[in-house]
Amino acid sequence: MTTVYLAGRALASALGPTLDHALSHLCGNTAPDATPYLLTDHRDVPYRRIADAGLSDWDARAHAAVTGVAADAGASQARKGALFIATSCLDGAIVEHASREMDFHALSRRIGAWLDWAGPVFLVSSGCTSSVQALLSAAEWLQAGKATEALVLGMELDNQLTLPGFAALQLLSPSRSQPFGLQRDGLVLGEAVAALRLSTVQAAPWVLRGGAHVVDGSLPTGASAKAVALMCQRALAVSGVNAADVDLVKVQAAGSPGNDAAEAEGLHAAFASMPALVSLKPLIGHCMGASGAAEIALLLECLERGYWPSPCDAVDPALNVQLAVTTPFPLNCVLATILGFGGSHAAVVLERNPL
Amino acid sequence: MTVYRIRARSTAPPAADWREQLAARLGGRPRRIGRWAELGLYGALQCMTAGGETTLGAHAALVLSSQHGPAFAMHEALAQAREGLPLPLTFLQIQPNQLLATLSAQLHWCGDARFVTEPDPLAVLDLALAMADGHADGLLLGWVNELGPQGGLCESSQWLRLEPVGDPGGAWHVLRDCQILMNGASHVRQSPSGLAVIIGPQVLNAIEPHW
Repeated sequence: MTTVYLAGRALASALGPTLDHALSHLCGNTAPDATPYLLTDHRDVPYRRIADAGLSDWDARAHAAVTGVAADAGASQARKGALFIATSCLDGAIVEHASREMDFHALSRRIGAWLDWAGPVFLVSSGCTSSVQALLSAAEWLQAGKATEALVLGMELDNQLTLPGFAALQLLSPSRSQPFGLQRDGLVLGEAVAALRLSTVQAAPWVLRGGAHVVDGSLPTGASAKAVALMCQRALAVSGVNAADVDLVKVQAAGSPGNDAAEAEGLHAAFASMPALVSLKPLIGHCMGASGAAEIALLLECLERGYWPSPCDAVDPALNVQLAVTTPFPLNCVLATILGFGGSHAAVVLERNPL
Repeated sequence: MTVYRIRARSTAPPAADWREQLAARLGGRPRRIGRWAELGLYGALQCMTAGGETTLGAHAALVLSSQHGPAFAMHEALAQAREGLPLPLTFLQIQPNQLLATLSAQLHWCGDARFVTEPDPLAVLDLALAMADGHADGLLLGWVNELGPQGGLCESSQWLRLEPVGDPGGAWHVLRDCQILMNGASHVRQSPSGLAVIIGPQVLNAIEPHW
């Protein structure tokens, strides 16, 4: 089996246009608060927006963020490989902001042109798990020998439908994100553009061992404990890793009353002894289709820079889980999960490369 | 390279009364899903029936692709958003993965189902075969569109059911035209020079030999 390295990463988020900015804010305890987003029914909800003052046009914002993170992740080295764009809501943005017909191919071509991309440009739009699915597909493309490099680009920017749609489904918190929290009352959404560059030829500190995606259509808008457990078991089996080898699970835990409970139950079924858990949602919000790539990029940067995202809120004792308050040791194997609409449950296994 | 037999296909244009046929098959019109998802469900179930299957194996993969996705639901959701909040069901119907969830439920199957697009349909096939390599129960692959390439109304729901088999020993040819895959190929595989198929003699003159 060919080794797939995480050779480059970058993130533009509410914490700043780069991972450097993000870690500076986190280490300096100066992370910006969520900003209010006024819905059409005159309620406002917290939203974690990328601060890019002066840019209001959707295309301009997307172009600036995409070209910035792609450059930071070393996209120029991957340009002949495959590009995987992952998004759950750009279709709305395309139609509304650019007066174009909804056309995934046109979007692929446009973003490919921004990056002067020479290889195939795939677009994954499968809700909140999109960028984890894109990671799995990119790894499979490399394993099949189709290329030696691939770039996964998760992208979620404000548009006319996402926040109103989540509000219509009554999924949004009026206050803040509380992963597994006793008082959890919904999601706080966020914007992110994240890039993960995969390579089979450039060794790097972290390896993508494998992963799994499970769709359980019995609950098309929610998570199921059975599917969470199956996702974990399959991801570990594909990766050749035992449950006991997992040192840390980066959970979805977006603060949803029902889904957080299903996730906790599924994790208990998959792990006889629960590994350390971490959630990044309070820092950048739930960035939907970009969340997998965004949270992996941010987590690895935090680990490398010695910052640990400690939880702020009391955990719901009924869930029988705890979020880690300090960096676990040892920390060699991470399971990163994202759950989403469409009964979609996705996870990847990352392993530290002993180099 | 794993060889896949095309166990079944449903590639013809949908019947004029396809929605009625689907409703009759399901015992009622499907609830909560949009027209695009209904169209996909219709084609996928036709394909499964052609292959004599009612469900997929636990280790099958499902790959769905589309140029425009649920375009009509999108326009409806945008119109609703201009008036206030979009209706919850309409918002869900603009998500392509609702078709994946619907198929999962209809097939009583829980597994790896993804929505991925690329302007070249053969690139989607290539990626789907790379994905299927780790799935012992093969692949259900579909392209579903309410609109044609230039945007006019043109419904299509084309599906293939591929199962891994041993090499049957026929002549392999480079695959350059998706129509050959849809209509003439019996087997397909990845190869160092791209995709390769075994096909019937009636379309041999349309392709180049695979070296």
